Amino acid sequence: MSEREHPPVVAENLGKKYSRGWALRDCTLRVPAGRIVALVGPNGAGKSTLMGMITGLIRPTAGRIAVFGDVPNGRGMHPAVAFLTQAKPLYPQFTVAETLHYGRSANPGWDQAYAESLVERARVPFAAKVGTLSGGQRTRVALALALGKRPRLLMLDEPLADLDPLARETVLRTLVEECRTQCITVLLSSHVLAELEGVCDHLVLLTDGRVRLAGDVSELLRAHAGQPGMQRLGELALAYMRAEVAA
Amino acid sequence: MTWIVWRQQRPVLITLAAGLVVAAAAILLLRAGMVSDLQTRNIVDCVRDGTLQACRGEGPRAFQKSWYDLIHFAQLLVIVVPALVGLFIGAPLFAREFEQGTHVLAFTQSVSRTRWMATKFVVAALPALLFVAVLQLLVRSWVNAAGQLGPLAGGPYYFSTFDAQGVSPIAYTLFAYTLGVFVGALFRRTLVAITLTLGVFVVTRGFLSTWRESTIEPVRVLSNELTDPYAGMGPGQVVKNTGFLDAKGAVVTDVNAAQAKCVPNARIEVSVEDRTACWQQNGLARSFREVLPFEQATTVHLLEASIFAGLAVLFVLGSVWAVRRQA
Repeated sequence: MSEREHPPVVAENLGKKYSRGWALRDCTLRVPAGRIVALVGPNGAGKSTLMGMITGLIRPTAGRIAVFGDVPNGRGMHPAVAFLTQAKPLYPQFTVAETLHYGRSANPGWDQAYAESLVERARVPFAAKVGTLSGGQRTRVALALALGKRPRLLMLDEPLADLDPLARETVLRTLVEECRTQCITVLLSSHVLAELEGVCDHLVLLTDGRVRLAGDVSELLRAHAGQPGMQRLGELALAYMRAEVAA
Repeated sequence: MTWIVWRQQRPVLITLAAGLVVAAAAILLLRAGMVSDLQTRNIVDCVRDGTLQACRGEGPRAFQKSWYDLIHFAQLLVIVVPALVGLFIGAPLFAREFEQGTHVLAFTQSVSRTRWMATKFVVAALPALLFVAVLQLLVRSWVNAAGQLGPLAGGPYYFSTFDAQGVSPIAYTLFAYTLGVFVGALFRRTLVAITLTLGVFVVTRGFLSTWRESTIEPVRVLSNELTDPYAGMGPGQVVKNTGFLDAKGAVVTDVNAAQAKCVPNARIEVSVEDRTACWQQNGLARSFREVLPFEQATTVHLLEASIFAGLAVLFVLGSVWAVRRQA
């Protein structure tokens, strides 16, 4: 089987236990290719832990995980994956141009023209030091760095959390446009459910370290049709989270 | 990849380059000044042989008063710089990435962690090693120019001469650097890494420099001057032991018993000749001293350096493990 045919992420009974307890347990899921997947759940539900295990930064305590057919390890992340965290770590002393140079040096499949066009569209000056940029500009540079390596799976852990509403809208729109046109699978975690509306076509809902709901958004909505307060993705997710808290 | 590390280490490289220019200028100027002072005082021959009659006067003493401490300070610089490399280049190399969270950026690019690590390790180390080597050569040329009027009169085992010479500075630098890198990758905190590196470096260096002399087999030098075991000894000798041999060439175990018979009852001066004759009658045929042979210095350098190099290899392996381990 060629690598292309492997789904981006397959997890079987995946679990991670820290000294304080299980962060993720019995997680079995499959992220289908070409989808924009919403990864939602309350704080501490295990979203970041799941993403960490996909990158190979975190080692699973139990179960199995495969990314495009390969098991993530400590030697390095799968080259077809790009990852952007809420902290958006970039070297503050580098200029924007140097940050792109960094991406070029560290990624064989780097597309310099594409990365530059993303930065230009965001109107971020190339000569500016990353440390002096605003939150929105930093996010756009980090996104250019993530997309410039031409990934097939893009993971975004709370990418919009520190942005103002206007910047959130622009960043999200850019993101969706780019990923849809290039058929990149996106795994996007966010607390703001309304934002994911109309953007995501697949949902993974985690609560308390377990998968509560996973599947195609339109199918999930169809299955819950007729139930009040479950007509939309955000409402559906919220209803499940409330039920969990009440239980 | 090389470019990335070069860009990250740029402030360090600029500091090293500037430091080297300043140090080289200072050492070359001081050395030139010292050489002209030697000629003015007409004591150039003392550089080769400090025991000459002409080297005992006021001139050489005044010369040493103005130059000895400066040269000694330059040697200490060569001893201190390896530690600084470990503290300020080795320790923060990975600790800072972990502290600032930028390791996530590095770990999520296409290049493997091992390659990232190896590039960082080498690109940051080479300029530091070059710095130490050039500084060592500059200081060495200054020390040689002062010769027997400078620290070289203390012999090859004099601590500052030994530590600032041969393969030692490079071995200490490799040790300090890899120690810093390992501790930094292990604890992921710059301050912790710097503190631990300093502590471990000082303790290990101290321990091995006291230990290394015990690896040398002392050489026995015989003398007919019974009353002065140090008679006719050249400069820089390290005497480990003195004693007496009997007529058959065996070491006299009870020297005090033999010498006690020669102590006069009254408080009178006994000439050296009379005392020598008396000791010889009582079985002390010849005196000897055990000294560290100069020619073994290179072997000791290599032995000590190989221990530090071995530790450095362990630290490199430890760093690979520490960087590649998953949370």
